[in-house]
Amino acid sequence: MKLLIQIAIVFGICLLGEGISMLIPIPVPASVVSMVLLFLCLLFGWLREEHIRDKADFLLKNMAFFFIPAGVSILEHFDTIKGIILPFLFICFFTTILTFAATAGTVALVSRWMNRGEKYE
Amino acid sequence: MNEFLQEIYSSPFFAICLSVLAYAVGYWLNRKTGLPLLNPLLIAIILVVLVIQILHIPMESYNQGGDIISMFLAPATAVLAVSIYRQLDILKKNIVPVVAGAVVGSLVSMGSVTLLCRLFRLEEKITASLLPKSVTTPIAMGISEQHGGIVSVTVAAVVVTGIVGAMLAPALIKLFRVKNPVAAGVAIGTASHALGTSKAIEIGEIEGAMSGIAIGAAGLCTVIFAMFAG
Repeated sequence: MKLLIQIAIVFGICLLGEGISMLIPIPVPASVVSMVLLFLCLLFGWLREEHIRDKADFLLKNMAFFFIPAGVSILEHFDTIKGIILPFLFICFFTTILTFAATAGTVALVSRWMNRGEKYE
Repeated sequence: MNEFLQEIYSSPFFAICLSVLAYAVGYWLNRKTGLPLLNPLLIAIILVVLVIQILHIPMESYNQGGDIISMFLAPATAVLAVSIYRQLDILKKNIVPVVAGAVVGSLVSMGSVTLLCRLFRLEEKITASLLPKSVTTPIAMGISEQHGGIVSVTVAAVVVTGIVGAMLAPALIKLFRVKNPVAAGVAIGTASHALGTSKAIEIGEIEGAMSGIAIGAAGLCTVIFAMFAG
C-alpha cells in the first residue's frame, strides 16, 4: 500500500504537469513542469521526501533503462539519416564534447570568481 | 507457429522482458570489464535492435511494451526534483555559476551545430533539426518543428547525443580535469539532457542533482535562444 501511494503521488504530479504544460503558451515539456512542481512541493513542505522516497529512488537508480525504447526508435528514423550518417555522427560527438567543456569551464570559472577572497571553496 | 510467435512478440511483456534482459547483459558486461565505453544502455539498445532485426519483429510489436517503458521517462525526470532538493544547500551556494554554465553551454551547443552544418553544407532543414540536439526530447521536437526541421532526425540526434554524453562523461571529466562536482553535473546535463543525467546520478549525488537542474535550465535557454535564431 505504501508503494502504491508513492506511485500515485508521483504519477499525480506528472498528470498535473501535463495539464499545466498544455495550458502555458511556451513549449515547456510536461516532464520539466512536473520536476518544477515536485521541487516546489518539497520546498514548501507540502510533501516530505519520505512520502515518495522509495518510488523516487527506484526511478532515479534505473533511469538509463527507461531510455532503451527511445534508443531503439532510431531504427525507425534510420532511413532519414542514412544519407548524412557521417556528418550526423561527427556533429553529435563533437558538439557534445565541446558543450561539455564550455559548460564545465564556465561553471568552474564563475564559481572561482565568486569565491575569490574566500580562503577555501 | 509463425502466427503464434507474432502474437508473443506483440505482447507488451515480450518487449519489457527483452529490454530488461538486454540491460542486464549490458550492466553485467560493464561491471565485468570496467570499461565506461561499454555503456549498459548502449549495449542494451544494440542487443534489442539485433534481436528485432534477426527475428523480423515489427516495430509496432516492440512498441507495445516499449511505450510502457517510455511512459516512465516523465516520472523519472520529475523525481530528479528529489535529488535536487537533497542538494538544496549546494544549489543555493552555486546558483549563479549553474545558470551561467547553462547559458554558455546552450549557446556553444547551438553555435557549434550551426557552424558545422554550414561546413558540411547540410540542408537548412537538417540544420534546424540538429540545432536543439542537446536538450530533452519534447523541447527539442518543439524547436525543430518551429524552425522547419525534420522531427525524426531531431529525435535521433537527441538520443545519439544523450548516449554520447552518458558514454563519455567519466572520460571527459578526467580529460578536462573537472574537479568541481557542480561543474561536472551542469556540464553533463547541459550537453546531454536526461540521458546523460542517468550517468551523472551514477557518478555522484551532487553531479546527478546539478545535471538534473541543467536539463531544465539548458532547455529553457535553448527555447529562448531559438526564438532569436530566426
